[in-house]
Order: sequence, then structure tokens, then C-alpha cells
Amino acid sequence: MNIVEVHQLTKTFELHILNGKRITALNGIELVIEEGEIIGLTGKSGSGKSSLMKCLYRTYLASSGEILYSSQSGVIDLVKARDHEVLALRRSEIRYCSQFLSVIPRVSAVDVVAEPLMRTERNRDLARARARQLLEVLGLPVELWDAYPVTFSGGEQQRINVARAIISRPRLLLIDEPTASLDARTKDVVIGLIRDLKQDGTSVLCISHDEYTLGKMADRRLHLSGGHITSGLTATI
Amino acid sequence: MSHHNEHSWLLKVRNLTKIYGEPNERSVELTGPEFGTNICPDTDSIVACAGVSFDLYPGEVLGIVGESGSGKSTVVKLLYFDIEKTLGSAWLRPYGDGKSNILEASGQQKRYIRNHLMGTVYQNPRDGLNFSFSSGGNIAEKLIMAGHMHVGNIRGRASYLLDKTEVPVRRMDDPPAAFSGGMQQRVQIAKAIANNPPLLFLDEVTTGLDVSVQARVLDLIRELQQELGVAMIVVSHDLSVIRMLTDRTLVMKHGRVVEAGLTDQILQDPQHAYTQLLVSSLL
Amino acid sequence: MIENIKYKKSYNYAFIDESTKKEVRRKLLKAVAIPGYQVPYSSPEMPIARGWGTGGLHVTLALIGRNDIFKIIDQGSDASVNACNLREFVQAMTGCKVTYDTTEATLIQTRHRITEEELREDQLFVFQVPQPEPLRGVERYEYRTRQMHGEADYAKMWVSLYESFVRHGDIMLGAGYPVKVNGRYIMAPSPIPRWDIPNLHQAKTLYLFGAGREKRLYAVPPHTTVEPLEFEDVKFNIERFNGVTCSKTGYRRAFLDELFLDDGSKTFVINDSNFLDKMEHGESVHQFTNLYLQQLI
Repeated sequence: MNIVEVHQLTKTFELHILNGKRITALNGIELVIEEGEIIGLTGKSGSGKSSLMKCLYRTYLASSGEILYSSQSGVIDLVKARDHEVLALRRSEIRYCSQFLSVIPRVSAVDVVAEPLMRTERNRDLARARARQLLEVLGLPVELWDAYPVTFSGGEQQRINVARAIISRPRLLLIDEPTASLDARTKDVVIGLIRDLKQDGTSVLCISHDEYTLGKMADRRLHLSGGHITSGLTATI
Repeated sequence: MSHHNEHSWLLKVRNLTKIYGEPNERSVELTGPEFGTNICPDTDSIVACAGVSFDLYPGEVLGIVGESGSGKSTVVKLLYFDIEKTLGSAWLRPYGDGKSNILEASGQQKRYIRNHLMGTVYQNPRDGLNFSFSSGGNIAEKLIMAGHMHVGNIRGRASYLLDKTEVPVRRMDDPPAAFSGGMQQRVQIAKAIANNPPLLFLDEVTTGLDVSVQARVLDLIRELQQELGVAMIVVSHDLSVIRMLTDRTLVMKHGRVVEAGLTDQILQDPQHAYTQLLVSSLL
Repeated sequence: MIENIKYKKSYNYAFIDESTKKEVRRKLLKAVAIPGYQVPYSSPEMPIARGWGTGGLHVTLALIGRNDIFKIIDQGSDASVNACNLREFVQAMTGCKVTYDTTEATLIQTRHRITEEELREDQLFVFQVPQPEPLRGVERYEYRTRQMHGEADYAKMWVSLYESFVRHGDIMLGAGYPVKVNGRYIMAPSPIPRWDIPNLHQAKTLYLFGAGREKRLYAVPPHTTVEPLEFEDVKFNIERFNGVTCSKTGYRRAFLDELFLDDGSKTFVINDSNFLDKMEHGESVHQFTNLYLQQLI
């Protein structure tokens, strides 16, 4: 079953403060994600990979086209969906992990990771316990768990970012460069966690330029160039 | 197919309009962001807000952002009955199963709604608190209005709420005038959530506070929202407050909503020229 | 010359002109129809100053008739200066009989006390009221207190009682304790002591209240529920006079005055002068009973 079907997706930015300058980031994208697939998305910077992901997460409003998502209660076109519907999906089914941790000040690492569970379960102690489990697996030093991530290194922040994205076991995970700032051992841990999710039925779209990560994880690859998908490779693991 | 049942909204607002002065039929069409003014050229009436419509779902946090004269405060003042509407309707699900326009309710019904179904936190604590009562007494007022008449229970609940909002309980019997600005705001928050309302209004609640105090109040609001799952409407001119607290945002200019969307979309992919200007001005 | 005796008297019967009496009576009817609700009225000028009982006088003079027997007390006493002045005025204006005896009177005007002896269905009891608005202490604007009464929004009143309890350990109102009448309006019963409050409840008599300075009339009809404001865990109680008795009669179950003698010592005497008289002379009395009084040993 296809969990996501993208048809003729186009995204053009119109910058009014630059006298209406138009920039096209995506042009007629066609793609399909099957349930339980991990798809690697590759391409140079500026090729539109992040824009595609942000359109899927609805951070960007697509200019035209369709994004059909198979939610637990039916198929929904994310391009036309209403705000509260998207919010409901973000809360329960779709997770996005950006390249860098957007740091919310004065929230401890544990609470940053626990936050998605708070939205569904509202039990702070349970959420924190699960968060600690994940941080342990990811090898974040215990002394840092109650500290504020703003002072952490890139690699430490990235681990928190990944933990927050996977803690609620989403149906669709959109993840941008999950292993970029990590050492080899932690890379394996993250790859393992994502493949665990796949075992439970999570579908993953993963942007990465790291051949090692893609080789270990991706069932299929898509290459973006100049806003178009230029090739789709199937990698075997 | 929609994910949510169309009838699961908490607050529905349609065509909310407030005009001061004596407007004519053209007052609304001659004002707004395209004209760069709220003042009708024919009649000198002021269109504080016009045609504002939105839905709010349970547990959602909606931000309303805009500069002075945008009408953002007017919208919430209309919804919590501080001022009378000129036009428009609003329905609140827990009131009459969402079938009664709350803007046309009687004085007594409005009071019931304000006591049981809404909480409000104002920018100026003097608007939200009675300075001749103690801070515990302010919370007691809300509890008494909801029918709790046992002093022991009232004090128990008041101290629980003050503790939750990080106000020292031993200061419960002190008047708010004896508190710092940040603490006064926290007492207001305690009072606003006293009866577990499904909807909370926060009107520029941190404007004017010192930055560190502001941060503490915002953190508290966010924590409470996560724990209680209460829906909120947050009015602010400060986009960073909106970014920190809200799921969705309305951008207002000259009394009209110029853009509405998910907060991250408003901040990362603003469509309207004014929104793009606001976002690029974020320090 | 033929004398016309009709116009010999310079004053109308009972001093007030008939139109004004009609207006006062109509307002009183409205007050009786809405127990505890303050009805505005004309409050005409009287030959005594405001603050000296004009409101009570208006009610008395509008209602009194040739066959009435009039009694007036001031803080329980028939013999105080003000009571005497007003009694003489009413007698001069109406020619009706006056008395000190509570049971003999048909119309009784009072300042700040209810009689110890129980009042009957055929008697009228008129209170002089300084401040008719029970909410004035928590809200100084008239338009807001009217709105509060209209919407039964009494939260501020309750919070002030809560604050009193929190600050002092008890609700510190001695005289004029606020009451809820007929389950609807909160009323100021005039500054009567707590002792008298329970006697407003389910009484046989019609109670009428006149506030001349503030221009308001209100009423508690017979057999009306009158409840002092209390919380579930902080209750109303009356004065206890622990171990103290009247030095003249030895009686304990009446409201007592505290008097200081020249040598600095304290003594207590029954406040209601007619009741004291009757007790001293061993005459039979029929006192009010209520639950609070019954709980006193």
C-alpha cells in the first residue's frame, strides 16, 4: 500500500519584499512512498530536497499538485487539508526531524525529547522515563539529560533531535540528515533505531548525503536536481 | 476525507466586526490593509476589526499577531465580552452544544461563560486582578462564582494553583500590589485556570515585563498548556512569543486577517507581503 | 366671623401630603412584592436632618392611622433623646396614642434593634436604615451595585467575607450582618446586632426598611426566608455573653449592654428597655425564639 503519493507537486516562492521575485524550488514532482519503506533522498544543496520534505510536512504551502497521505482514517490531500487536520496528523502520525535542532530555551534535554509524548499522553513522568531510555540508547551522557541543549555540541543536539522525532513511533517519518554530525558508533545506533521503526511499519523519507547511512538503511533512493526527480534507484540491503 | 469530525471544533468565529463611531454601508470596504487605514474616509468611523473568522479546536493554541491598530486585541476583547460587537457570531461548543451565538447572550449568560468556560490573562494585572483582595482572594472569587462555598476547599485549591504557577503559597494572603510584575502575571494565570476552563485568552501577557521575567512566564504558560491540554488564543505583537507558544497563527493588519496558517508555515513560508515583512523583521 | 376649622391645622394629617403618602405606599407595595429589593423613592424633606431617621419616619407617617398605637425605640431604648423627639413629633402630627409597651403597640419604629419580645401578625415594624446597599463596602459605584443585584452577581461580597476570615480568623461583622432574602437578594438589615438577625427569618410581622438619605425602601414580608451569609465551613453565630448576666435581673438570654461605671468596673444590663422593665417587675414576656438562641445554654 502506498502511504504517500505525490502528483505534479510544484513550489514557487514569491518574495514581495524583493519586488515579487519568484523562485521555483520544486517542479512537477511525482513520487510514491510505500508503507514500511525507507526512501533515501539525495541531491546537491538547493536541489529542493528540504523543500520537498517541508511540503510534505506542510511547513511549505505547495503552489500546485497533490500530496495524498493515507492516514489512519482515510486518504487526505495534504495540500488542501485544513490546518487543524494537519495539526492532528502531526500530533499522531507524521513526524519531521530537521537538520538542526531548533532550540527551545530553558527546556531540559529530557523534556525536549518527551514533548511529543506529552501531547498524546499528558503524563510527564511516563514521557520522561521513555525519553531517558532513548537518550541512553543514543549514548547521550547522563549529566546532560537535565541540561539545556543550547550549549550542546552539534552531535549531541542531533541525537536529541532524532530522539524527539522517533519517540512517538510515527507512521511517517521525515528526517533530514540524521547522521550528519555523528561519529561512526552513534551513526549505527541511529540507523538501528530507524530500522526498528520500519519493523513496526513506519515509513521513512530520509535526506542524506552520507553513502554509508543510505547503504545501510534505504530500500530505494530518489535523486533531486533543480526541483525535479531525476532518478530512482532501488538499493538492496 | 477529513481527519477530524467537522463538529469537533471548540470555538467558531464568523465575521467578527467592531466599528467605533457611526459607519455607513461603505465603511468596511473603504478601510483595511489595501487602503492602509482603519478610518473610514466618509464617516470618520474606526473599523477596529472586520470580517474576522476562524475555528479553534480543543487543545490548540492559536496566535494572533499584528502591530498596533491591527485589531488583534479587539478580537479577543469581543470574545471575552469586554466590548460589544458590531457584527458577527461566535459559538462555543460547551455552551448550549455550540448552537447559541455567545455574542448575543444575556449579561447573566455571558457571566456564566466567563466564569466557567473561559479564563483571561491581561497585559495589565490591574485589569485582571482585584487589588483590594489578596491573591488567594482573587482566585477565591473565581471559585465562588462557580459555586464553591467551602473556605477550606477554596484555600486548598487556591494554594494548589499558586504552587502550579510558581507563586510562593505563603504569600497567598498578600495583596497583589505587594508582588513583582511577573508574579502578578502568574497570579492572573492561576486565577484564569481556576475552574479548568477549556479556553484561555492571553492578551499581550508578557509585554512590558523584563526579558528574564517574560521568559519565565512564557515557560509556565507552555508547561501548563501541555499538562492541561487547554485551548488558548495568544495575542502578541512579538513573533518570537508566537513561535514559542502557538500551533496556528492569524496575521492581522488594519483590522483584517491578511494571512492564516500553521505557525511554522507562517514563519518559514509567509505568503502575504505584510507577513513576509513581519517575519523578516524578526530580530 | 364663621371659623373654618378644616384649615385650622397648618399640617396635613401625619405631616406628609396625601400624594406623597400615596407614592410611598406604592413603593412599599413594590418592596413587599420583591423581598429584599431596594426600591427608590422620593424621600421628601422633613423637619429633621438626614441621618436622624427620616427614612423610618417616611414609612411611619405614610402608614400610620388614627387608631394606631405608636412605639419608637433607639438602640433598644424608648427613653433616649432621639426616640423622645420623634415620638413627640409623630404624636403631634397624628394625635395617636403612644406607648412604651411592645405588646401594646401596633406600629413600632426602631433604630438599630429588634425588640426582644416577639412581634405579631397585626404589628408593623419599621427600621431606620443608614446604608441600604449591602455591597457598598466592596463596590462604590451605584450603577455597578445595581447591575450586581440585577444579575445576582454577589461574588465580591463573598470574597470580602472570605478575606475577613483569612485575615482575622472569623467574619468580623458585628452589626448589620448581610443576609440573603427569599433566596434572591442580598440585603442590609440595618445595623442591628447579630443577636437580632435570626429573628428576621420566617417572622410573623411585616418588616419595612426606610433609608431617607439614600432614598430607598425595602421590605421583608412575613414568613420569608432570611439567611445570614455563611460558608459551608465558616458559619454564622450570635453573640454569646459568656457567663455574663444582667446585673438588674440576673437574666442571661437577652441582648445585653455593656456599661462602665464611674469606678471603672463593667456591668451588663438588658438592652431592650421595655423588656428590662417587664423583667424587673416580674411581668410576663413572650420572647422571640430561634435556633441560635436555643443553642445557648
